[in-house]
Amino acid sequence: MAFPAKYPSLNAMEMTDEARQTLIRVLRVAFPHADFPDGPYERTADTLITAADEETWFRVALIQGLLSLDQLSDGDFCGLDDESALKVLRRVESTEFFGFVRRTAVLNLYDDAEVWETLGYEGPSFDKGGYINRGFDDLDWLPEPSIVYPEDEPLPELGEGAKAGAPAGGTARDHSTNQPSPQAADMGEVKK
Amino acid sequence: MSAQQNAGTAGIGTAGPQAGASVTGFSIDPDEEAVVIVGSGAGGGTLAYELTAKGIPVVVLEAGPYLRNEDYVNNEWEAFNQMAWLDPRTTTGSWRIARDFPNLPAWIVKAVGGTTTHWSGATPRFKNHEFKARSTYGRIDGANLLDWPITLEEMAPYYDRAEKAMGSTHVHGRPPLPANNNYKVFANGAKEVGYKFYATGPYATNAEEYDGRPASIQDGFNFQGDKNKSKWSTLVRELPRAADTGLLDLRPESQAVQITHDANGRADAVLYLDRDGNLHRQAAKLVCVAGNSIETPRLLLLSGTPSFPDGLANSSGQVGRNYMRHLTGTVWGHFDKPVRMYRGETMAGVIADESIHDPDRGFSGGYYMETISLGPAFMASFVEPGGWGPDFAELLDRYLNTAGMWIVGEDMPQESNRVTLNTTVKDQHGLPVPNVHYDDHVNDLAMREHAYAAGQSVYEAVGAQTSHHTPPYPSTHNLGTARMSERPEDGVVDKWGRTHDVKNLFISDGSVFTTGAAANPTLTIVALAIRQAEYIAEQLWTGEV
Repeated sequence: MAFPAKYPSLNAMEMTDEARQTLIRVLRVAFPHADFPDGPYERTADTLITAADEETWFRVALIQGLLSLDQLSDGDFCGLDDESALKVLRRVESTEFFGFVRRTAVLNLYDDAEVWETLGYEGPSFDKGGYINRGFDDLDWLPEPSIVYPEDEPLPELGEGAKAGAPAGGTARDHSTNQPSPQAADMGEVKK
Repeated sequence: MSAQQNAGTAGIGTAGPQAGASVTGFSIDPDEEAVVIVGSGAGGGTLAYELTAKGIPVVVLEAGPYLRNEDYVNNEWEAFNQMAWLDPRTTTGSWRIARDFPNLPAWIVKAVGGTTTHWSGATPRFKNHEFKARSTYGRIDGANLLDWPITLEEMAPYYDRAEKAMGSTHVHGRPPLPANNNYKVFANGAKEVGYKFYATGPYATNAEEYDGRPASIQDGFNFQGDKNKSKWSTLVRELPRAADTGLLDLRPESQAVQITHDANGRADAVLYLDRDGNLHRQAAKLVCVAGNSIETPRLLLLSGTPSFPDGLANSSGQVGRNYMRHLTGTVWGHFDKPVRMYRGETMAGVIADESIHDPDRGFSGGYYMETISLGPAFMASFVEPGGWGPDFAELLDRYLNTAGMWIVGEDMPQESNRVTLNTTVKDQHGLPVPNVHYDDHVNDLAMREHAYAAGQSVYEAVGAQTSHHTPPYPSTHNLGTARMSERPEDGVVDKWGRTHDVKNLFISDGSVFTTGAAANPTLTIVALAIRQAEYIAEQLWTGEV
C-alpha cells in the first residue's frame, strides 16, 4: 500500500480511498457476518476515520496499523483470502490499532438499523405501542408455562446440607457473630 | 420557619435557570438547618417522600439532571449516554471488569430518580437466614461475614409497605405479568430440569393499571428508563408525591462533595457543586446519604477532618470496605427456532429453586436466575468483552433465536474489596475519583460455575443447540460500603442506618447492607428507607437529634 494518508503532514490529512477499503476489509474479516450488507461496514469504517481525525493518537495508530497489515501480508492485505486475513489480524490483535478498530466496531457496527434488521431485531418500539399487541408472547414451539409459584409450598430457604447441622468447627471464635473476631490474628513470619 | 412556598404551585416544574436551586416551587433557605438528603434513588427518593408525608421539609441534592419519562429514548447506547453515571472512576483487582471496563465499575444512573429509573424491577425479599449470614454460613476464610442487627421478622411489615408502594406483582393482590417469549423458554426449561419455583415475578412493573400508572405495554426498553411509567421508580412515584406535599426542595445537578461538622462532631452542612461548578452550602440539622455504594463512601472519605481523620463516621475503618456487587453472570441459550427475547419486559421471570443455602453444592448462599434481554448493540459489547472473530460473530448471528437469563447471587463481603479515593486521578471538578477494588472470593467463583451450569441445563432441557456464558456486567447492585452492625467497631451504621460516630448522620442506601443476600436489593433498600423515615421522624419530634 502507498502511504495511507494523502498528505505527509499528519495533522492535515485525509485517509486515502485505499485505506478506507482496507479498513472495510479488516471489519469484514474481524466481524464476519455473511448476511450483513456493505452499508454497516462502510459506515463503521467512516466512523473510525472520523474518530482518527479527531484524535491524534488514533490517527497515528490507524496509519501505523494499516501499514503493518500490508507488511504482514506481502504488501497486500486486501488480496488475502478470509483465512489468511484472519491470521494476520490475530497477529495484530494486541496492538493499539486493532484495539481501536475492535472497540469502535463493537460500539457502532451493531448499533445500526440495517444490522438490526438482518439479525431480526426490531429496534425502538414505544412509538408503535410496544409489543403488547405485536407478538411479545407469540413463541409457539413450547407449551404455555405456569407464571406463578406453586401455591401450596413456601419458597425453600435451606437445603439438606444446611439442615445437617452447624458448620464445622467449635472454637470460641467460630461462635462470634463477627468475622474475623477482634482477637483473631493469623500468625506470619516474625521479624526482629 | 424561613422555608418558603412559592406561588402555590406544588409539583415539579421544569428546571429553572438558577443552577443548584430547587425545581419544585418550594425552597429552603441555605442557612436554615434542614434535613438534607443526598441522592434521589431508591433510598433517597423513598426517604424524601416518607419524611415530607409526615410534614418534615427536606432538601434533596441530586447529582444528575432532571430527566422525565418522555426524555427517555428507545436506543441502548443513546439511553446509556443520557442516563448512566459516567464520571471517571478507576478499578483494581482480579475481577474482569478491571480489564474489560476499567473506568466503568458500576452501571448506575446519574439523574433524578437514581438507578430506580434503570433497574429491572425484580423484588424478591431477603430470606430469614440471609440476615444471619455469619451464624448460618459459619466461618468462611477471607470473608468478613457479620449478622445483620435486624431480622426478617422486624423487616416484614416494611417489606409489605414497600411492595405495596412499588406495586410488586404476585403479592398483595397484584396480578402476575404475562409470560413473554423469553420467559416461555426459561420456564419450560425450568420445569424440564425439575425446578418448581419459577414465575414471572415478583416484579415492580404493572401488569394492570395500578397506583395511577398504566399497565406495561411490553416495549422492551426497561433498562432505558421505561417511557410508559409502568415500572416503579422514585421518579414516577415518590418524588412527585413528595413535591405535592409542598415540602420537597429538589435540586438536580447538585453534587454533594463534603459534609461538614461542628466542634461537637455533629454534621452541620452539606457542600455541593452545581452544574456550573460553583460551590454551595446547605446548612443541615440532619444529613442522610444515599448516593449508592460508591459515591456514599466517597463522600464520607472526602469529608475527613482532624476530628475524623479517616473520613467521616469511619472510626471502625469499615467505610468503603466490604464492597459487594452480587455474584452475577449471564447464560444465553441458542435454539433452532425464533425466540425474539427482546419483545416484552426486559426482565420478567425468576427461578428461585437455587436461592437456598445448601453447602452441599460446594458454596454458601444462593442465587436466583432471572430472564434478561439485550439488544444487538449491548449484546455486542457485553456478550464476550474483548471478543471478535468468527466465533464472536456467530453469537450475534444467533440473536433472533437466543434466550437469556441473568444470574444474581450472594457474594462474600471481603474487607479488601473496597472503595477508596484515587488521589492521582481527578474528576471534572478536580476531586479525587473513587477507585473500586474487587477480587472474587473462592465462594463466588464456585457459585458462578454452579449457576452457569444450572442455567445451561435449563436451556438444554428445551433444546438449546449451543449456549454461552457471559461474565458479569459492570455492577448494577453495589452494596456494603457503610455496613450496618450491632457494635460500632464492626461497621459504620446502627440498625436504623444512623452512623455510629455522628448522631445526626444517616446512610440510606444499599451501602448499609451487612451482607448481600441473593435477592435483588432495591426492595430491601426501599423497605429500610421507609423504616428509617419513621425513626428519623420520631427522633426529630422528640428532639433527639
